[in-house]
Amino acid sequence: MKILVIEDEPALLESILAYFTGEGNICEHASDFAAANEKISLYSYDCILLDLGLPGGEGLELLTRLKQLKKRDGVLIISARHSLDDKLAGLDLGADDYLVKPFHLSELKARVSAIVRRKNFDGDNVIMFHEITVDVSAMKIRVKGNPVSLTKKEFDLLVYFLSNRNKVVTKNAMAEHLWGDEMDLLDDFDFIYTHVKNLRKKLLEAGAADYLRSVYGIGYKFGDL
Amino acid sequence: MKLSNRYNRANILTSIVVLIITGIIYYVVIHFILTEKLDRDLAVEENEITQYVNTFHKLPLPASYLDQQVSYKTLSGAIPERQFLNTIYVNPKEGENEPGRSLITIVHVDGKTIKVTITKSRVESENLIRIILLITLGITVVLLLALLLINRFVLSRLWRPFYSILNRMKAFEVTRMDTIEQEPTKIDEFNELNKSVNAMAERVRQDYKELKSFTDNASHEMMTPLAVINSKLDSLLQTESFTEQQGALLEDIYHATARLSRLHQSLLLLAKIENNLIPDPQAIDLNEMVQAKIRQFQELLAKSKLILNEELAPAEVKMSRYLADILLNNLFSNAVRHNITGGHILVKLDRHSLTISNSGKVSQLKTKIFDRFSKAADSEGMGLGLAITKQICNLYGFRIDYHEENGWHVFAVYFGD
Repeated sequence: MKILVIEDEPALLESILAYFTGEGNICEHASDFAAANEKISLYSYDCILLDLGLPGGEGLELLTRLKQLKKRDGVLIISARHSLDDKLAGLDLGADDYLVKPFHLSELKARVSAIVRRKNFDGDNVIMFHEITVDVSAMKIRVKGNPVSLTKKEFDLLVYFLSNRNKVVTKNAMAEHLWGDEMDLLDDFDFIYTHVKNLRKKLLEAGAADYLRSVYGIGYKFGDL
Repeated sequence: MKLSNRYNRANILTSIVVLIITGIIYYVVIHFILTEKLDRDLAVEENEITQYVNTFHKLPLPASYLDQQVSYKTLSGAIPERQFLNTIYVNPKEGENEPGRSLITIVHVDGKTIKVTITKSRVESENLIRIILLITLGITVVLLLALLLINRFVLSRLWRPFYSILNRMKAFEVTRMDTIEQEPTKIDEFNELNKSVNAMAERVRQDYKELKSFTDNASHEMMTPLAVINSKLDSLLQTESFTEQQGALLEDIYHATARLSRLHQSLLLLAKIENNLIPDPQAIDLNEMVQAKIRQFQELLAKSKLILNEELAPAEVKMSRYLADILLNNLFSNAVRHNITGGHILVKLDRHSLTISNSGKVSQLKTKIFDRFSKAADSEGMGLGLAITKQICNLYGFRIDYHEENGWHVFAVYFGD
């Protein structure tokens, strides 16, 4: 997928680019309003990551600009402003999603993947990974063509892993993804383990290879063998 | 009590008292003057009789003149003193008894002592006094009525600008940028008030703007480095060349970062609730929301082997959905966190209140439980959850209550009232 990252903080921009590059993704970036405006006028992207506080202009104006240009680029707002007004204004102006800083890169990737899947495959929202096929809109999973029955949480977990394939995903990020980041879950995330264990067992029983690895006790990695 | 009522009351009371006193003085003085006049007339008559006796050495005829009667009586014993007194005057024309004034005096004719009684009718002067009294009373009543009317119409019109300023002040909302409009008035005090109110509104608005931009900036400036730390940690993790020990260190850093960002979010949220920067409230089906929250906490309950019982009745409250979610989150997290392994949670919901009770250790905080950063020594929370909960309740006029009974910690939120 082709992605434009509009972010003025160089360190954060670098991390995002590093996380997204690879697997056939093309990432471009802009660090101020003028550069971003030029890029969105000239090119089309599968998804634009938009920081609202930009030097040289208000990020929300770029959304209006996109609308004027009649572009169908997906837009994910990433903002430090935890303001509901901004969130609603952004979504009203045609943004697809809103993520508040600080966020986990894995959460960002999952959200971007979801937007791109929705935009590109209208109604045919399918993720393929080796012998595993996930129909996201129908919530159905097949391994080598055989249906596998998963709970809602296990299903969400699998989609999350597949959006972040070959990356280490922390338990913290997984918990926030599955239970929402408003939930005060600081203590520890071991209860995730049950869901991961069940998911893995079901996939193995259905005949899939063991793609899931635990990493240092911090998180998990779902990827090629 | 309204100012005008208060003023009216004082005004009318004073008027009544003053008018009554004036009336009494008036009555007494006029009564005195008229009696004096009658007495003088009687004395003139006495003088005429005395002169007649001195000249002719006999008594004049005891004739009855208009409103005047004279009678004689020869005395043999004690001699009475000369005196004026109120008596009864028999009106011969109408044959009625009227109030009269008499003078009793003595004349000496041919060595005989004769008592002379001169009586005049008082009915005229009594009538005069009555008329004067009636006029006084009439003026009193008219004056009081006039005062009432003036107070009702003139005063209420005079105060109208004041009430319109008051109403606009009540309707004033800091988030809306409209000014408090001036009501044209000729009264200096109200113009002054208007000016002061507008100046104050302007100051409040300015402060609010600064606060809002400070909140925005603080949030942005603190969240950006946190976002960088978080993203760098995520990137670092992908390099996958760590020992088990380094992994444990990374996990600790993750925890601390998560804590820091949560702490910051909580403080911003508190500031936002206190400054009423929360969007419009909406009707919320609390029953459905509580059930969803119970489902959401299923794993956490299972982990601590907690048993949750629910008694839920339909309930609807008007508040921001976002804050309702935070409120429930905080109460549930609290009930889970401060519980004992294998403990119980009881959730009760009805139209008037939500009660969440949990088993747990004896608390040492009690009164300070809703204060910021007050927490049990062994708590892993930040001590902000209940402070936020309390603020949310304050915002919507709910009452939150905590008490401990038989080892149960009971939090109750009462809606409305």
